[in-house]
Amino acid sequence: MKLPIIKHRRGIYGLAIVTAFALIPWTSAKAHNPIFTPGPHLIYNGGLEVDAGYTRGRKSGNGEKETENEGETGFEYGLTADWTVEADISYLDKDLNATGSSGLGDVVLRSRYRFSRISTKGVQKSAAILAQVKLPTADDDSNPRLGSGSTDFLGGLLYGYESRRWYYNLAARYRLNTEGGGGLEKGDKQFLDIVGGVRPFLTGYKQPDGVLFLELNFENSGRDNLNGSDVTNSGGWEMFLSPGIFATYRNVALRTGVQIPIADNLNGKQANSDYRFKFEMKYTF
Amino acid sequence: MTKRIRNFILAAVITLMTAAPAWAENHIYKLYVDGLACPFCAYGVEKMVGGLDGVKSIEIDIDAGVVNVTMKDDAKLDQDVAKKAVDDAGFSLRKFAEPGSRS
Repeated sequence: MKLPIIKHRRGIYGLAIVTAFALIPWTSAKAHNPIFTPGPHLIYNGGLEVDAGYTRGRKSGNGEKETENEGETGFEYGLTADWTVEADISYLDKDLNATGSSGLGDVVLRSRYRFSRISTKGVQKSAAILAQVKLPTADDDSNPRLGSGSTDFLGGLLYGYESRRWYYNLAARYRLNTEGGGGLEKGDKQFLDIVGGVRPFLTGYKQPDGVLFLELNFENSGRDNLNGSDVTNSGGWEMFLSPGIFATYRNVALRTGVQIPIADNLNGKQANSDYRFKFEMKYTF
Repeated sequence: MTKRIRNFILAAVITLMTAAPAWAENHIYKLYVDGLACPFCAYGVEKMVGGLDGVKSIEIDIDAGVVNVTMKDDAKLDQDVAKKAVDDAGFSLRKFAEPGSRS
């Protein structure tokens, strides 16, 4: 009888967050950030951006095959020109060795504060800090598990250079995982990202615009811990090369890209990432 | 007498026609904005500056980094107000040119 109550509570979490954002005035816009790397470009003061996206990832190897599809809706609100609050709500569909489960994913709350903004003609350099918390709203009793059942925290430092032609981004993030359901604590994770981008055609305002990005994403995980003991087949690092495109027309933006694994060193026997695909549409009211 | 009236009307029309562009020009402010790099980002400027009291329309030249702000009749744009709007959009106002000033 415990499980339905927990699920009901998760539903209330989700409903409360959706309701809170529905009460925010609907006025918005946002800036260019890469596809897989968080950037320091923020929405304007009082603006609201809504996005909807789809991601798909697959892992295989060592007798395992795991596929994950995720539909996501996100919100970004500008408290000031240099400070935003954001939320992501997702729906997951997972398949592990032909066994599937689906349902509400973990709700992510995020805030970015831009502490440096240097603007010259046609160029902006900026840096921001990122703070994020992942709430355990996903079902961690399903098979396969949709979430870790833990409340996890992430902090990061973001840098971005944006000009009419060229883009550069750097990001470093650390995710502190806590103990979740079943006594499992996922290993902490570190992310390092380097991004270059180019705008092939310089277009004017009220004309379609496109930027091509190439990202190098490095992810390192510590070993998981189960009831006080390290899990042998867990942790390690992966590196991805990620081409993507950011296309816009005034206040509408499309972002899509794919993460291709180019190197890894995973501990023990684990499935390796085959790819991760992402498509996202943003709308600025 | 009729000829004199006709000449007067003709002169008045010509004067008004030549004065019209100058009159329109008097309502256009030029904001030189630093940091503008992409059309998507410029939307924030349109929302913040375009939403100010008295603004009739704006045009953005991203390459030049210039926002042309056309005001409604008799409305004026205050430099500090414009600066705050540009800053709230996430950019910096480098120069503010009032109507009629050489830029």
